[in-house]
Amino acid sequence: MFGRAIHAIARISDEFWFDPVEKGLALRSVNSSRSAYAYVFFSSMFFQHYCWTAVSDPCHKEKELSLPCKLIVKAVLPVFRCANVLGRNVEKCSISTSPSDHHITFQLLCKHGVVKTYNLTFQECDPLQAVFAKHMCPNILKVHSRLLADVMIHFPTSQEEITLSVTPVKVCFKSYTEEDTDFSRTMVTEIHLSPEEFDYFQVGVDSEVTFCLKELRGLLAFSEATGVPVSIHFDRCGKPIAFSIEDVLLEASLILATLCEAQKEADSQERCCPQQWGSSETHPDKPSGDEPNSTDISKHPQRDGNAPTNPVAKQEVKSIPRVTGRDVTGRAGTATAEAAGEATEAPYQKFHSLFFGAVSYKEKDATGHTFQSLATASDTEEDLGPLQSSPVL
Amino acid sequence: MAGHAEGRQCLAKRLASTFPGKGERKGGVINTISKLTKTCTLRLTVCKLYFILSDKVANGGASMWCELCQGNFFDEFQMEGVAAEHNEIYLELVPENLSRALKTAHSAKAVKIKLTNKHCPCLRVAVELPSLSSSSRIVTHDIPVGVIPRRIWNDFREPTMPDFDVSIYLPVLKIMKSVVERMKNLSNFIVIEANLSGEMNLKIETDLVSVTTHFKDLGNPPWASEDGCQSSAQGRNLESMAEARIDIKKLQQLLAGQQVNPTKALCNIVSKRIVHFILLHEDVSLQYFIPALA
Repeated sequence: MFGRAIHAIARISDEFWFDPVEKGLALRSVNSSRSAYAYVFFSSMFFQHYCWTAVSDPCHKEKELSLPCKLIVKAVLPVFRCANVLGRNVEKCSISTSPSDHHITFQLLCKHGVVKTYNLTFQECDPLQAVFAKHMCPNILKVHSRLLADVMIHFPTSQEEITLSVTPVKVCFKSYTEEDTDFSRTMVTEIHLSPEEFDYFQVGVDSEVTFCLKELRGLLAFSEATGVPVSIHFDRCGKPIAFSIEDVLLEASLILATLCEAQKEADSQERCCPQQWGSSETHPDKPSGDEPNSTDISKHPQRDGNAPTNPVAKQEVKSIPRVTGRDVTGRAGTATAEAAGEATEAPYQKFHSLFFGAVSYKEKDATGHTFQSLATASDTEEDLGPLQSSPVL
Repeated sequence: MAGHAEGRQCLAKRLASTFPGKGERKGGVINTISKLTKTCTLRLTVCKLYFILSDKVANGGASMWCELCQGNFFDEFQMEGVAAEHNEIYLELVPENLSRALKTAHSAKAVKIKLTNKHCPCLRVAVELPSLSSSSRIVTHDIPVGVIPRRIWNDFREPTMPDFDVSIYLPVLKIMKSVVERMKNLSNFIVIEANLSGEMNLKIETDLVSVTTHFKDLGNPPWASEDGCQSSAQGRNLESMAEARIDIKKLQQLLAGQQVNPTKALCNIVSKRIVHFILLHEDVSLQYFIPALA
């Protein structure tokens, strides 16, 4: 299971954050263009034995310091290479870190007394975390991963992006082709499903979102292995879409940026930056459900400084072919940019990406309430309370 | 552009066919063809479908003619060609696309194929799949096709049976396939030789190694001699081998595409000229010509 999670994350990027915290182990990954974010959290119950000790570091004033670190996926993948074989041969897997010499040790205790030990170095680094309020999404679908897998099988493995379009009476996945592709050469596939096929179906706003299929396949494979149903939270185009699974032992989410058609020019396409959903959590009085149509960003002055950012964002973005120029983009200059450690980059002409907040325990005053919870919709209660101490967002 | 206009005309007349339950057989044929070539021509007539690959240089000179009776695959088949006296449609398509579209056809409730013209001519394959809910899942694939104008229909005529030297049944394809696959690693060319006593050898020869696999008791198909056209085979010494050296990859592709054992599989060899393979399944006949190389 752990191996499969690593495989799923491997689809996103070459490195990932390995972040043990008191409650469990979190793995996070972001792709190079910051348009996809994967998060897998194994609660301590998932492990037979989970021991997390706070390292008190004299340099830092915090009482507790967890040890987020960054690993190269390619180094870790071989450890869990054949997930199927692993299941049969490996009796126990133990993971231990030694911060002093920057090593993580994976030890696989296999059958017949074979012990494989892998020592990997890591880089200490603050992980990023996508800020995305799932409970704010007007559209929520919940379905068993088998259905999604059956749907995705119709698309070729080379298919980069697909479009999901929903109305209250139907759901449609179709292959996405750029405007300038040669239609006489490309095959287009469309799958129509009825809402009844979903375990939970809520469509607040008719929408059509386009996202990267390749990155999703990793999560789908993982969720099929866990058997937990997949929840899909999304909104109008341009806003990110989140695929997540949640269970007692683990949770995982994949947040993908979506394409949106520019309102001004019919031709240009841009990925709009999803606004800071996180900040909305500081306004608990804000009704979540009943403004499905006002997801248009400019109408939300409460989201600090987001209103002015919308036109700004659109001005800066030009139409570009999507597959080229996947630069790392940060969040273009908004009110939040100065606060977020990661995102103070100059506005880019290319598409924007998800907004990320640095999960930096060092900067936080409130240590107990970590940013982890922002990425999941589960524990909203905790968020709304003491989050006044999160100046970042 | 008279030819083109005619091509467009026939698009307006639809071809609609549905075939529940037979999808997997058609899928099998398409699969085989998709392994042989990247693009091919589909010829539709009132009673038959033909997949044709003509022997252009681009294909390495290999050509293919695959014929199936629409009645065996479709429950409903409507077609209107260009004009009454030429009631046929010729389309150029990528068989891999069609193969992919039909991938799930075996579990489908119904499959419909239509020729439409949206931005460009397309074969629209609509697969109705069973689902957990009351309404089925519908998957549509739009496969772009090219309409071939009538003036070049002559390029796609049925190839004539060559005047062969030896005709012999092929060994069990699975065995032949694994032999050829291993030989492929050693050499780019393979020599097929056979005689009228039911013996066939597959040979490769390189600087370092030569390998020969012998097959016996294969049997030779009895071709009725009509007006002496098989005379080259008639008076032939039963033991003498006819041979041809061909591109091993082409042979491997042909064998790789065979999922099901054909009812009849044979090949005709014209010494040093061409090898003509004929594979017959219940409702499909596939002919594949591989030219011999020097």
